[in-house]
Amino acid sequence: MQNPPGDEPETALSVTPPKKWAAGVPAVVHALEYSLEQTSPRKTGVDLLTMNQVGGIDCPGCAWADPAPGRRHRNEYCENGAKHINDEATTRRITAGFFREHSVSDLAARSDKWLNQQGRLTEPMIKRPGSDHYEPIGWNDALGVLAQELTALDSPDEAVFYTSGRASNEAAFVFQLFARALGTNNLPDCSNMCHESSGFALNETLGVGKGTVSLDDLHHADLIFLVGQNPGSNHPRQLSALEEAKRNGGRIVAVNPLPEAGLRRFKNPQKPRGVVGRGTQIADRFLHIKPGGDLALFQALNRLLLEAEDARPGTVLDHDFIDAHTSGFEDFARHARTVDWDDVHAATGLTRQEIEKVRDEVLGSERVVVCWAMGITQHKHGVPTIREIVNFLMLRGNLGRAGTGVCPVRGHSNVQGDRTMGIWEQMPDSFLDGLRKEFGFDPPRPHGLDSVNSIKAMLEGRVKVFLALAGNFVRAAPDSDVTEKAMRSCRLTAHISTKLNRSHTVCGDTALILPTLGRTERDVQADGEQFVTVENSMSEVHTSQGRLEPASRMLLSEVAILCRLARLTVDGVGDIPWAKFEGDYGTIRDSISRIVPGFHDFNARVARPGGFQLPNPVNEGVFRTETGKARFTCNEPVVPRAPQGHLLLQTLRSHDQWNTVPYTDNDRYRGIHGSRQVVLVNPADLSELGLAQGDRVDLVSVWQDGTERRAENFRVVSYPAAKGSAAAYYPETNVLVPLDSVADMSNQPTSKGIVVRLEPVGDRVRDVRTAGAGRPR
Amino acid sequence: MAHEEDDGPTEGGVTRRRPLREWHVEETVEAAVPVRTAYNQWTQFKTFPRFSAVVHDVEQVRPTVTAWTIGYGPLRHRFCVEIVEQDPDAYLAWRGLEQNPTHEGEVEFRPTGSGGTAITVRMLLRPHGAAQVLARSPAVTGLAARLVRAELVHFQHFIEGLGQEGGAWRGTIRNGRVQHDTPEPPRSRVAQWPVG
Repeated sequence: MQNPPGDEPETALSVTPPKKWAAGVPAVVHALEYSLEQTSPRKTGVDLLTMNQVGGIDCPGCAWADPAPGRRHRNEYCENGAKHINDEATTRRITAGFFREHSVSDLAARSDKWLNQQGRLTEPMIKRPGSDHYEPIGWNDALGVLAQELTALDSPDEAVFYTSGRASNEAAFVFQLFARALGTNNLPDCSNMCHESSGFALNETLGVGKGTVSLDDLHHADLIFLVGQNPGSNHPRQLSALEEAKRNGGRIVAVNPLPEAGLRRFKNPQKPRGVVGRGTQIADRFLHIKPGGDLALFQALNRLLLEAEDARPGTVLDHDFIDAHTSGFEDFARHARTVDWDDVHAATGLTRQEIEKVRDEVLGSERVVVCWAMGITQHKHGVPTIREIVNFLMLRGNLGRAGTGVCPVRGHSNVQGDRTMGIWEQMPDSFLDGLRKEFGFDPPRPHGLDSVNSIKAMLEGRVKVFLALAGNFVRAAPDSDVTEKAMRSCRLTAHISTKLNRSHTVCGDTALILPTLGRTERDVQADGEQFVTVENSMSEVHTSQGRLEPASRMLLSEVAILCRLARLTVDGVGDIPWAKFEGDYGTIRDSISRIVPGFHDFNARVARPGGFQLPNPVNEGVFRTETGKARFTCNEPVVPRAPQGHLLLQTLRSHDQWNTVPYTDNDRYRGIHGSRQVVLVNPADLSELGLAQGDRVDLVSVWQDGTERRAENFRVVSYPAAKGSAAAYYPETNVLVPLDSVADMSNQPTSKGIVVRLEPVGDRVRDVRTAGAGRPR
Repeated sequence: MAHEEDDGPTEGGVTRRRPLREWHVEETVEAAVPVRTAYNQWTQFKTFPRFSAVVHDVEQVRPTVTAWTIGYGPLRHRFCVEIVEQDPDAYLAWRGLEQNPTHEGEVEFRPTGSGGTAITVRMLLRPHGAAQVLARSPAVTGLAARLVRAELVHFQHFIEGLGQEGGAWRGTIRNGRVQHDTPEPPRSRVAQWPVG
């Protein structure tokens, strides 16, 4: 373990050619290097060998499903998961002395990386009004301050309760119960910013807001689409599933504005061919699409499938499925036939021939799965794009059968479970009725605030208290300057956290840091050692139990913090056994089993090795939509355009990063080293803009409100991004995403397709070391 | 190898089977239990290791998908199977999801005059490459037939010994999809609200 690094100025940027493969031995080396920097070899071993194992820790790194018990590797994790888990298990500690030394203003000037590297939070801290320092406070006093503020509000709707996907099912259930017992549905969550568009589109068309596939479906699909996602960096364990699909003879079409390494080739470090061989080719076909062109692509494919059916009636479409299980086909088909090829080309940058080749792949495949992530959901037309993907799958009956279906790939490990547990500002009456019956109080019925509307309400002074269950809201949210102003306008902000982040430094008059146990740690309560549960991207619910001793004796679990706060705040509301909940999480699960459909016998079933899988109605032949059938939809075509001299920006994560937390300034798959202040631009666009690699520019976004949003002092990197587009790292460029720029219907911030211009700044000193940049190696 | 030209029995015109038109193996046993009992027990795939000499584990991924682990001695092989057609008390057809090698199969349940059940299994092996030659070898198909017969006999003794089934799945499957006859079958009752 090393001491935390200082906040050094960025080193010289160097650029090497993007990698053509992901993982392999370097992934193992990097994972171990970082892990051993953070913690001891013993803790590293304990964490890694229990990670994603039956009875072990569920990796908080992503929500990808685990193989069935008995089929898991001894090392069932990826490079990023290993880094993340040991980032939490770090032996570095933040104590009261640290906060004496560093004022809040000082901390607010530090980088995300530096803040994270300081180590684990160890005791409750408070920043009092007018003070610029956090100081220690006892748990009772800290929770008392929070309870007093909450009970003094004119209305419970003046408080907002934010949840990050790290929170367990038990903590999430208790959190929403507390908020509703207080009297508000203001429950924004990180889902609002990642897959809200998926939930809306799937719920509307299929009647359930979750993916329909299991790992076995992926393994046995004939054809898999990877659309707007980067598995090599964001869901590396998906590569193992894709590898197995390829070994079974499946083919893969990747659709992305950047030719990411993980879409090209995977070297599985647990297999000889991944260590000494060439690994497995992932994408058989790569569509280098413009950002936001995916809707047009699937509309074009759907038109081609309809025309193929016209040419060979009865051989292309699954009429049995369409007739028996869907509605709206005729309207859809009429609409689909009007797709204009010029618009398709303008939107996608793809030729008709390229798309026809994909159609031929589809026609040769009996079983098709479409996977997607935020490259789809974070566009203004994210919901219509996903609806069009559903249209595409339904045409040939690729739903509800083995090896077929929709696969929204989620990021946070329990982001899906938290929503299942009721973390949503618009929960239906059936759920609220369940709470009333179980706990004897009337939950509020008016819908609450999501993430974007919470920020607006804070700005307008309608929200005065902000409590976050994990996460780093300030950095995850769009329009950073506006979000920070909103947070600073609160009377009190409080965060239940494991590590320091910017949300602790951009705070209200009063601010509380409530340090909590991490996933890696033992959680011992009055009734003994506890485990928690999570739900992964494939609706499998299973346990997670840490093995390490807590980072501090002063830490409370998330459940304990919330139950103690509830007893101080809403003790007289209904008949809610807060103390029992804190002492035995099994009692929380008992209540969940009586309220949340699909969780019957929760305690018994989750105790089985591997837990249990929630059925998906689509796979049971049930579509709980307005029509009682799967719904074809008509979606208006969209051609994303940037004015002359502008580009369409997408924000993205580097390989060495977990959500808002960069571990280093490197992104080795993309060949970026030493700096995150870079913007990746196609060489032809650079030439047209009169720029060259290494030029310093400000990124300025263009939005209808006329406000200038500027990300300063970035360096240009020539990169094989799709023509007309640019890419830069999140969260640094969140400042460019206007708060009002949201996806239609889902209100999800649009971190993709932002219109920007690059304004050269300062002397054009091209201080960048290059080694054939822009040419994939 | 045999061929069958008709489309099998129908029930009220709703049954739509796709029987195998060719097969490498066909074996029949008669169990001294009613058709409903034999059929119901057959649908309890997870219990197959209780009577089978080669099946070590069965996971029911969902009604139409099962994962089977078979083996002999220390050898193990896991593969997934999709049920493509299923009619209660009558018929079940499946196919392997692996592409190399794979197989298809069907099982029929017919009442006998004595009140028992005639259970017929047919299987078509679909090996790839050089193994295709083996699949045409009488020795290999004979071995497969003996194996299937032995397993059928094990099932017959198992259900006759139990006397009644230990569970049942009474759903219908068409073209790999569950057909439901109630608006909201129990397994579809899960949280419906959108997940972000």
